[in-house]
Amino acid sequence: MSGGPLIVQSDKTLLLEIDHPDAQACRMAIAPFAELERSPEHVHTYRLTPLGLWNARAAGHDAEGVVDTLIKYSRYPVPHALLVDVAETMDRYGRLQLANDPAHGLVLRALDRVVLIEVAKSKKLAGMLGPKLDDDTIQVHPSERGRLKQALLKLGWPAEDLAGYVDGEAHPIELAESGKDGGKPWTLRSYQREAVEAFWAGGSGVVVLPCGAGKTLVGAAAMAEAKATTLILVTNTVAGRQWKRELIARTSLTEEEIGEYSGERKEIRPVTIATYQVLTSRRGGAFTHLDLFGARDWGLVVYDEVHLLPAPIFRFTADLQARRRLGLTATLVREDGREGDVFSLIGPKRYDAPWKDIESQGWIAPAECTEVRVTLTDAERLAYATAEAEERYRMAATARTKLPVVRALVDRHPDEQVLVIGGYIDQLHQLGEYLDAPIVQGSTTNKERERLFDAFRSGEVRTLVISKVGNFSIDLPEAAVAIQVSGTFGSRQEEAQRLGRVLRPKADGRQAHFYTVVSRDTIDTEYAAHRQRFLAEQGYAYTIVDADDVLGPKLPTID
Amino acid sequence: MTTSLADHLRTLPDESLAALLQLRPDLVVPVPADVSALAIRAQSRVSVARALDGLDQFTLLILDAARLTRDPEGGGTTTESILAMATAGPHPPAPTTVRGAVNKLRALFLLYGPEHDLHVVGGVDEVSPYPAGLGRPAAELDPRAAAVCADPAKLRRTLLAAPPSARAILDRLAAGPPVGTVPPGALDAPATGEEDVLPPDLVNGGAATGSPIRWLVEHRLLVRMSAVKGGGTVELPREVALLLRRDSGPLGPLRTSPPLVSSPPREAKAVDSAGAGQTMEVVRHTEALLEALAAEPAPVLRSGGVGVRDLRRLARGLGLDDPTTALIFEVAYAAGLLGELDLTGTVTARYGGDQQILPTGGYEVWRAASLAQRWEQLARAWLTMTRQVGLVGQRDDRDRPISVLSAEAERAGAPAARRSVLAVLADLAPATAPTPDEVLELLDWRAPRRARGREAAHREVLAEAAQLGVTGLGALTSYGRLLLAELTDADERGDDPLGLYSDAESGEPSTAVRALDALLPAPVDHFLVQADLTVVVPGPPDPALAGELDVVAEHESAGGASVHRVTTASVRRALDAGYSADDLHALFRRRSRTPVPQGLTYLVDDVARKHGGLRVGSAGGYVRSDDEALLTEVQADKRLEALAFRRLAPTVLITPYQVNRMLTALRDAGYAPVPEDAGGAAVLARPKTRRAPARVPVTSRSLDPLAAPRLPMPRLLGVVEQIRRGEAAARAARRAPAVVRGGTAQTGPAPAHTHSDALAVLQQAVRDKALVWVGYVDAHGATASRLVRPVSIGAGYLRAEDERTEMLHTFALHRITAAVLED
Repeated sequence: MSGGPLIVQSDKTLLLEIDHPDAQACRMAIAPFAELERSPEHVHTYRLTPLGLWNARAAGHDAEGVVDTLIKYSRYPVPHALLVDVAETMDRYGRLQLANDPAHGLVLRALDRVVLIEVAKSKKLAGMLGPKLDDDTIQVHPSERGRLKQALLKLGWPAEDLAGYVDGEAHPIELAESGKDGGKPWTLRSYQREAVEAFWAGGSGVVVLPCGAGKTLVGAAAMAEAKATTLILVTNTVAGRQWKRELIARTSLTEEEIGEYSGERKEIRPVTIATYQVLTSRRGGAFTHLDLFGARDWGLVVYDEVHLLPAPIFRFTADLQARRRLGLTATLVREDGREGDVFSLIGPKRYDAPWKDIESQGWIAPAECTEVRVTLTDAERLAYATAEAEERYRMAATARTKLPVVRALVDRHPDEQVLVIGGYIDQLHQLGEYLDAPIVQGSTTNKERERLFDAFRSGEVRTLVISKVGNFSIDLPEAAVAIQVSGTFGSRQEEAQRLGRVLRPKADGRQAHFYTVVSRDTIDTEYAAHRQRFLAEQGYAYTIVDADDVLGPKLPTID
Repeated sequence: MTTSLADHLRTLPDESLAALLQLRPDLVVPVPADVSALAIRAQSRVSVARALDGLDQFTLLILDAARLTRDPEGGGTTTESILAMATAGPHPPAPTTVRGAVNKLRALFLLYGPEHDLHVVGGVDEVSPYPAGLGRPAAELDPRAAAVCADPAKLRRTLLAAPPSARAILDRLAAGPPVGTVPPGALDAPATGEEDVLPPDLVNGGAATGSPIRWLVEHRLLVRMSAVKGGGTVELPREVALLLRRDSGPLGPLRTSPPLVSSPPREAKAVDSAGAGQTMEVVRHTEALLEALAAEPAPVLRSGGVGVRDLRRLARGLGLDDPTTALIFEVAYAAGLLGELDLTGTVTARYGGDQQILPTGGYEVWRAASLAQRWEQLARAWLTMTRQVGLVGQRDDRDRPISVLSAEAERAGAPAARRSVLAVLADLAPATAPTPDEVLELLDWRAPRRARGREAAHREVLAEAAQLGVTGLGALTSYGRLLLAELTDADERGDDPLGLYSDAESGEPSTAVRALDALLPAPVDHFLVQADLTVVVPGPPDPALAGELDVVAEHESAGGASVHRVTTASVRRALDAGYSADDLHALFRRRSRTPVPQGLTYLVDDVARKHGGLRVGSAGGYVRSDDEALLTEVQADKRLEALAFRRLAPTVLITPYQVNRMLTALRDAGYAPVPEDAGGAAVLARPKTRRAPARVPVTSRSLDPLAAPRLPMPRLLGVVEQIRRGEAAARAARRAPAVVRGGTAQTGPAPAHTHSDALAVLQQAVRDKALVWVGYVDAHGATASRLVRPVSIGAGYLRAEDERTEMLHTFALHRITAAVLED
C-alpha cells in the first residue's frame, strides 16, 4: 500500500485528494487520460472514459503507462479487472486508420483486418464507405470523414486520423503583445498559452476555461498560430462585436480585415464573425447561409460558447473535418446531454482548468456565492399551493416578496456595479420600476443594448436589469455584483454563465458577489439546488441565508 | 497372464503390496477377497485408466515404449529394449530418467516382472489402443499393405513419391492418433495425379483436384478399416508411421520435463496488489448481489435454477456482465450465503415458481466478518464447488439454455480441474504469469489423459481465478498460494471428523486471511465533506460508519473509497430513522476531517424544520370545544382519568377510547356532550330502545277468518281460462300417439321408430303442411309431446306452429325422439 493521493474506484472514477503532497504531480500524470469531472474543495473527481483513453492513445500515451500511473499514485490496490479494461479499451484505438492515399484520396486502412470486416458490415456505417480497394483498405469520400469518425467511435473502434488538416488560405495574423496604437504591452497568461499549445498539438478540440478567464485571447492566439483565414461562430451580434473589438486591440488585424456576418450585415473577409442564429435561419426549409462555410478556404473555425452549438451546426461541422476547429466554452454541460457530439465532431477536450485554480492565480475575481431564501407571504403560499404544476415555477420564481430583498441586496453594495438577472420579462419590468434601473431584454435593439452596456461600463448606470440575453458573452468587466432572481428551470450552465458575468478580475482585486434569490419551500429551491451543482462541483460553496438577515439589521445576540 | 500377475503379487512382501494400494487406492474399494481378485482388479479397464490418468506425458510414452517392444511370443519386454527405443530419437532423454519412469510404472504395477522380463498389465491395451499414437503393424491390417511395408526401400520410394497433399495427411496421422475419418466421396474421386480421367469442366473452367486419400489407399500407405458408403475410416500402418517419425524418434518428440514458461515474471507486489484490488471488488459485488436478492428474491424456475431474465436484472443492477454475475451468484450460493425459501400457499403470478432464492442467515455472519475473511469464504466455496459456471448461458444437449444454479451446470470434476490448474500456477516461481496457452500446455504434459478435452473448462478456471482475485495479472497471488496450501494440507491430513484442525472452528484467521489483510486497506472511521454535498470516505468504511452513512446519504460510487451524497431525501430518511438535527450535525462534525460546509448545515436544519410539520396518528375519539377553560376542566377531571385525554390543540382533546364509552363517561361526570359524525354534523342521539321485528296487528285481519274471500270478476275469469288451458293440454296429451309419448312408449314393444324416420315424417309434413305429433326431450331431460304444423327444417332446427297457442316453436332436431302424422 503506497500512501498515494489517488483512489481508483471500480466505476472508473478517480478520486484525487488534493491536500496530499503528491496531488499536484498526480494531477499532471493523470490529466492526459482522465477527465476532470468535479473539483470541489477537498477531493477532485476524474473519470476514465473510453474517449479519454483513446485521446491519450492519440497523444502517444500507451496502456502500460496509464496502468503504471494508476498503480503508482493509487493509495489502495487497483482492481485487476479495471486494469484489464483500461488496457483493452486503449488497445481498440488505431486498429483502423484514416489516411491520405496518394492515388485514391481518403481511405480507411486496417491494421487488423477482422476489425475492418466487422465495421464494414455494420449498418451504422451504411453509405459512408466507398469501394473496397484491397483487403485492408476501403475508400472514403472526404465529406464523410466526420460522420465516419463519429460512427466508428460509437462502434468502439475509433480510427486514428492521419489524414491531417488543410492549411487553408494563408493570412498574416500576429498577436500584438507589445501593445497596439499606444496600448499597454501585455502577454498571454500561462494557462492561455498552455491551452493554445494543447489545442495546436492536437489539431482540433475544445478548450474549457472559466468565464472571464480570457477565452477570446485563446482564440486570437490560435489564429496567430494558424496564420490563416478564420471563421468565428458566436452566439449573438453583441458578442460578435466584442470579439471584433478584442481582435483589433490584441492582434495585428485591422478593422478592414474583420467581417461581420449577421442579420444586419453580410460581410465576408479574411476573418469573419458569424452568429449561430444567421447560420441556422431557414428560408423555405433550406438553410440559406450555408455557403459561408465554403465561401473561403478557411484555415480555422472557432466556435465560441460551444456548449450552445445548435443541432444543425453539428451537421455542418461534420463536413468540416479537414479544417482545424477550436471550441471555446466555460461549461461543457449540455442539458440535452450531447457533450459527446461536441467531442466527436469538434474534437476532444484539449484543455481544462479548475475554476478555483485560475481564481487562486488571480486571473478571475474571487466570488462569494450566496443563496438568499425568501419566505413567501401567506397569500403567495396559498396561490402557489393551488397553482397548476406547470405554473408553479413561474409563481415561485416571480414572487413579489423577492423585490424588497433585491433592493436590500443592491443597497448593500452602494459602490458596486450591480446586474440583476432574471428569466421572466414581467418580473424584470417590475424590478426595473422598483429599482429605477434600465432593462436589457430580447426586444432591445442592438444599438440600445450597446448604449446601455457602454453606460454601465462607464459607471453612468449603476444597476442594470437584464434578461436571458445577458447569459452569455457580454463583457461587463465592472460588474461586481450579480443578483439572480429567476432562471431557466434547473439549467446548470446558465448559473455558471451568470456567475461568469462578475468574474472579470477587478482593478483593485476586490471580491465579486453572486446572489441568487429563491423562494423557500417551493420548486424554486429545488431548481436552485440543481443549478448550483456545476459551480459547487467547481468548488464554489454557496452560503445560504434567510431573507430576514438581508432585510433587517441582525438581531442582537444575547450571550 | 492374469495368473502370472497374481503369482507375482503373491510373492511380494506386505510393504510392497501396501505401497501399491497406497498408490492406487481404488483397488481396495471394496477390499478384494484374495490376491487373485486384487490382480484381476488391478488389470481391469477402470482401474488401469485411473492409474494412467495420473501419469505425465513422458511416463505414458515410456509405457508405450514398453508396449511397442513386447516380444510377440512371450509378451515380455526388458528395460534395455525400452531404453533403446526411448533414446532412439535425436534428443535422447537421460537413461536415468527413463529408468525412473520405468520404476514408477512398476511401482504402479502397470509393468510387472523382473527387469529382463517385464510385462504390461492387460488393461492398458484396452484403455489406450494406439501406443505412442502408432497404428497396428501392417501385417495385422492388410496383407497387401504388409507386402509394401516388407520392402523398406520400396516403401521409402513410395513415400517420396507421395504428392504434397497426401504427404500432409500422412504427417498428421503419423503424429497420432493413426486413425482418420474419410470424408464421403473421397475414395470415389480419382486419385491425385489422375485427374485426367475426368472430363474437362467447360462451364466453370479450372482444373480438377484429385483425392489424396485415394492415392494413399491405392498405394497401400493407408489401410481402409471400415467402409461406410463413400467414406469410412483409414488407419496408418505402424511401419509407415515409424518411417515418417525417423527424425523425432519412434515415440515422437519426448519431453522429460514440463515445458518452460516464457512470459517474464511480474513484480510480486504488483500481482498481490492487483489481486487484492480484485478481492475487494468481488466481495463488494457479492454483497451488492445479496442485497439485491434480499430486496427482490429471484424465483426458482420449475426446471431448477434462476431464469436468465432475473440474472440480467441482477447484472444490470450490479453493472456487471452476465457471466461474472453468474459466477458471483454460484459462488455465493456455494458459500451458503444464498438459499431457497419455500413459498407455501402463495400464488405468484411470476413463472408460477413456488421457491425463491434469497440470502440466508449465514449472510449476516459473513457480512460482519473482515474483508479478507469474507473473501476467503468465497474463495474456498469456489475451489470446492462442483459447478462449472462457464456453462451458464450456453445450451444443453436439448438446446435449452443452461441457467444459474441449474442441475445442468453440475460437474463433479470441477474442483479437480480448479486444483490442477492452480497447482500448475503454484508450482511455478512466485509472480510468474504464464499465458493461458502455456498453462494448458503444462497441464497437457502433467496429465495428458486428464487435460485432453477439458481445455475450455481449464480456460474458464483461469478466468474465474482472475475474477475472484485468486490470481492477479495472470499470476497466483501470495495469499492465493497460501489458501491452496491450506486446502492441500487439509486434504493430506485426510479425514478430520472432529474438526480438530479446522481453522474456521478455532476462530483464528488462517494464514491466507492474514496475508490478504496486510494487503487490504485498513478501515477508516472518518470522511471528507465537500460543498457540493458529497461525502468521501477515503477507504473502506468501518461497519459503524458504513451504517451511519447508509442512513444519512445516498451511495454514489464505490471501490477503494466510497462517495456518498447528502440529499434532502437522505436527510429526511435519517430523521425518519430517529436522528435529530442535532444528532446529524454532531455526526458530521465528529466524522468529518474537513470543516462542515454551511450548505450542509443549512440543508439539515431546513429539512429538520419541515420534518414532522404534519403529524399523523390515530385516536378513538375526540372532544372539542370553543371553551378552552371547559376543556381544561375536562382534562383535569379526576373521574375522567381513565379516558387518558390528550390535548391536541387548545380546543381539542383526544382519547384512545371509543366515542360511546367517552360519551357515557362524560355524561356520568355531569357534562353535556353532543356527538358528531365524520362530517362534523351533530348526531342526535335519542336513547335507542330495543324492539322486536314488526308484526301485523290483529285488528287488520277480517272478522271471520274462516269466511271465503270474495273474488272480483276479472280474477275469476282468469282462473277459468287457466283451467281451460290445462284441460286442453291434458286432452292433447292424451291424444298424442304412444310412440310420441316417450315415457310410456318404452314400456311396451315400441316400434323401432328411429330418428331418421322421424325426420322423414317431418319433411313430408313440411311439404304437405300437415299436423304432426312431435315427441321431444326438453332441456331438463323430460319427455314431452306437442301437436304442431311444421314450417321449415334447417340448420338443425325444426320450426313449427302450434295451432292452439298460435306460437312458433323451434325444436332442436337432435332432441326430437319421434314424429307421427296426425290422422
